Amino acid sequence: MTRQISGAELAAASERLVPGSVAKTTEWTCFLKPETLRETVAALRLDPEMDLVHLTNLCGADYWDHFEVVYHIQSFDKNHIATLKVEAWDREKPSVQSLVPVYHGAWMQENEAYDLFGIVFEGHPKPYRILLWEGFPGWPLRKDFLSMPGGLQPGLNEFSGVARRIAPPVSVVE
Amino acid sequence: MSDQVKSEPFILNIGPQHPSTHGVFRVKVKVDGERILDAEMVMGYLHRSIEKLAEERTYTQNIPFTDRTDYLASMSNNLGYVLAVEKLAGIDVPERGQAIRVIMAELQRLASHCMAVGAFANDTGAWQTPVMWTFREREKILDIFEMTSGARLTCNYMRIGGVAFDLRPEFEPMVRKILADFPPFIEQLEDMLSGNEIFRARSIGVGVLSPEMATNSSLSGPVLRSAGIAWDIRKADPYSGYEKYDFQIAVGYNGDCYDRFIVRLEEMRQSCKIIRQALDGLPGGPHSTQVPLALRPPAGEAYARVEGPRGELGYYVVSDEGPTPYRFHIRPPSFINLSALREITIGSTVADAIVILGSIDIVVGEIDR
Repeated sequence: MTRQISGAELAAASERLVPGSVAKTTEWTCFLKPETLRETVAALRLDPEMDLVHLTNLCGADYWDHFEVVYHIQSFDKNHIATLKVEAWDREKPSVQSLVPVYHGAWMQENEAYDLFGIVFEGHPKPYRILLWEGFPGWPLRKDFLSMPGGLQPGLNEFSGVARRIAPPVSVVE
Repeated sequence: MSDQVKSEPFILNIGPQHPSTHGVFRVKVKVDGERILDAEMVMGYLHRSIEKLAEERTYTQNIPFTDRTDYLASMSNNLGYVLAVEKLAGIDVPERGQAIRVIMAELQRLASHCMAVGAFANDTGAWQTPVMWTFREREKILDIFEMTSGARLTCNYMRIGGVAFDLRPEFEPMVRKILADFPPFIEQLEDMLSGNEIFRARSIGVGVLSPEMATNSSLSGPVLRSAGIAWDIRKADPYSGYEKYDFQIAVGYNGDCYDRFIVRLEEMRQSCKIIRQALDGLPGGPHSTQVPLALRPPAGEAYARVEGPRGELGYYVVSDEGPTPYRFHIRPPSFINLSALREITIGSTVADAIVILGSIDIVVGEIDR
């Protein structure tokens, strides 16, 4: 079985390689600080103990007040997988460091996250909307997509016009 | 080309409506004569925003969506999704359900690889004969799917906690017949293609991927294994009881189009082996556990993956204790396997680019989702 690396182990390894790089940890996840994200991941990739060579999955997630970018990175030789996350708190212009210089496989997946969430990946060689067309109004996978300015409305065009406001769920806002 | 003769680079458009792009997929290539200088992929023609739609539907209602992403491997897609939800909710599947899942996933791999090999041979110039042969065999598997689940391609057969229906009494003899027919058919196909001079000339040494590049580009599945990396989720991270079956990982050496073809053929043989073992040891008992229809998994997240025919097929599901997933993400192997397409096509000819694209075996429904 592929071993899921615990958050504490990931945090210890990240702190050992790049001091001060961990924002917080949960049981199976390690949240990295956005300023040193690329440096930390590059170090984890080269570190013989962690050996995180294969960026399996990269995706964004919207939690109303902030965005998360989730990285699942695994090692073939050690047969373990790590879940790393980074948070972007600026709702107007969320931005995260790009991992393309470290993993070429991040190229398309970061473009997908940019396309659907509007998360800007700084340092991406060619950011563009990979699935939708340039000029598409809004960022479709955001939770408040339907109330965005210029956002599309469900149904046919004649029914659009009245924006359906979506209030954030109470439980998420702390 | 001598120094006196100069040619100007120009943009050539391949697709989106073109048989060799395997769907509505477009590549803009910049060519100088026959040589490709740059390639730009344009996708999204089939984008239906399944990830957004899934946030509005219950966990059970989302299973048919997963059919519609990779429509050539719907069983594998169903399996990946229900595994993620089961991991999230902590549901155990009965032994019989697991064995049926394995049989279905492997039959689906046979059907999908039939399509991949046939279409690839078609791209290399073996016009129509191999594709008709493989379609003939694939149709028998689709008949079994239709008998069991009611649909040929969009099966919607897996359920959270098991499978939708138990097997019919005709199932076992039909699968036994396929198991008897398939190995000779694979031999025949290999004899016809791998000894063919044109086929070899078109595929050997074309689109070479180094292991480092394959790893760094996040590739998976037969494309990764053809580059010499023995990484198979069924072995490395077994699910649904794959650890009980005896099979081997097919690995290539050179990372070229021919190796990808050979790896797929070998995987078909191994799949037959797995199906035979699973069918011999098919346990009795229930095929599914009772799961509440309005399932509300505890808050948290799960990432589950299966080895689909095209590679690592992952589902990332986040729950907020509601009846619908808070976030639903598919890790599409076809999409991510295209990461290296630009790098391996640069420097080749346009005709080779078609072969390379065919050897990666993309399904556009999965790329665009």
